[in-house]
Amino acid sequence: MDEFYQQLAFILDEPEIKPEAVLADFSEWDSLSILSVIAMLDAQYSVNINGKELRNFKTAGELANEIVRLKAKN
Amino acid sequence: MNFTYQHKRISGILSVVPANEKTFLEEMRNYNFPEARSRKLMEVMGYGKHRLVEPGVCVSDLAVFGLQQLFDRGLLVPDEFDALILVTQSPDHFMPTTSSIIQGRLNLKHDLFCMDINQGCAGFLIGLMQAFMLLEQESIRKVILINADVLSRKVSPQDRNSYPLAGDAASITLVERDFNAPIIHSNLKMDGTRNEALIIPAGGFRKPSSPETAVMEDVGDNNFRAQDHLRMDGSSVFNFVQVEVPPLIESLLSTAGTTTEMIDYFICHQPNRFMLQKLADKMKIPHAKMPMNIVENFGNSSGVTIPMALCFNLANELKQRHYQCCLAGFGVGLTWSSMLMQLGHLNFCEIIDYP
Repeated sequence: MDEFYQQLAFILDEPEIKPEAVLADFSEWDSLSILSVIAMLDAQYSVNINGKELRNFKTAGELANEIVRLKAKN
Repeated sequence: MNFTYQHKRISGILSVVPANEKTFLEEMRNYNFPEARSRKLMEVMGYGKHRLVEPGVCVSDLAVFGLQQLFDRGLLVPDEFDALILVTQSPDHFMPTTSSIIQGRLNLKHDLFCMDINQGCAGFLIGLMQAFMLLEQESIRKVILINADVLSRKVSPQDRNSYPLAGDAASITLVERDFNAPIIHSNLKMDGTRNEALIIPAGGFRKPSSPETAVMEDVGDNNFRAQDHLRMDGSSVFNFVQVEVPPLIESLLSTAGTTTEMIDYFICHQPNRFMLQKLADKMKIPHAKMPMNIVENFGNSSGVTIPMALCFNLANELKQRHYQCCLAGFGVGLTWSSMLMQLGHLNFCEIIDYP
């Protein structure tokens, strides 16, 4: 999932993002970033998570785990 | 569900936009956001300028203005059409129908089937389907389909989710019989369980407007709006489009026995540039085949955006020859629909300013 963290860092305009990073701590974790993440997950991982669900993930790592879980289900 | 229509064509499209133009940059200070973040939003979503009615301007004003132009220029003869369909979500009044108001203001004949349809972003396709069905009757020779909305009047200027993309407009589409026209395929799906994704909560009979419904509330994400205002759950709508629209169009093309390569243009409803880019990429449609520039030039005028995209991008082409076009509308309801039809040799195809 290294690629996922890189893409998330790009969307949030950060040099890097670690799994334990708390998403709500980023000033750019707003509706625009959420849309970009939805688009990225759909295009790269064929996974659909809506905005409301995205906001429920505390850390980047929790989101990454969910992507892995959903991908395994597909 | 799938539909087919025989021997029908569009013979002309006129779009009407308010002359009043505003830009995202000049409105940015209304939003409670850091400027850098707003600029990024502008780049990603493709916001530029949009057309908004002046206070008090209604749907029938735009429609009557456009129809009068067509009459004056000899492009349309009042007695030649037998039905007038208006698709709008911002009627002049709850009653009577705004199509009747238009009929009355223009003194149109009594042998005229006037009908309002309450539909939004899929409203051009829904309106065309009604027009095609009316044309099955011998007494209906031509149908005027009007799509018109002035929804900017219902969007909070402090709602950065919705206001930058708001746009007002009307379009007048002439639909008639043509025994040489190839078969038209369309499909349609609706899901009322998601009806709150796009809603104006107050102002109807369920929750009448009152001083309480006019109170501006902090709705999170630094946006402010009242219950009287339009509310769009942007990320749900985006998700909906990404999940539902590609299979809809794929199913339409396969039913019609064609492929994306065979289609000259994909003319979709215009929510914003970002959504359309993602849709095109997902469906592997070259961006040159899918116009995406209506929101940045005029705003999202709901059911009017497909005719606007045709008039703004393809006016000359569509007057000269035929093109194989796939239309798609998706939004409020939720409703999603696509249509495969030949478009071309239009007698008129242009955008005019009101007033």
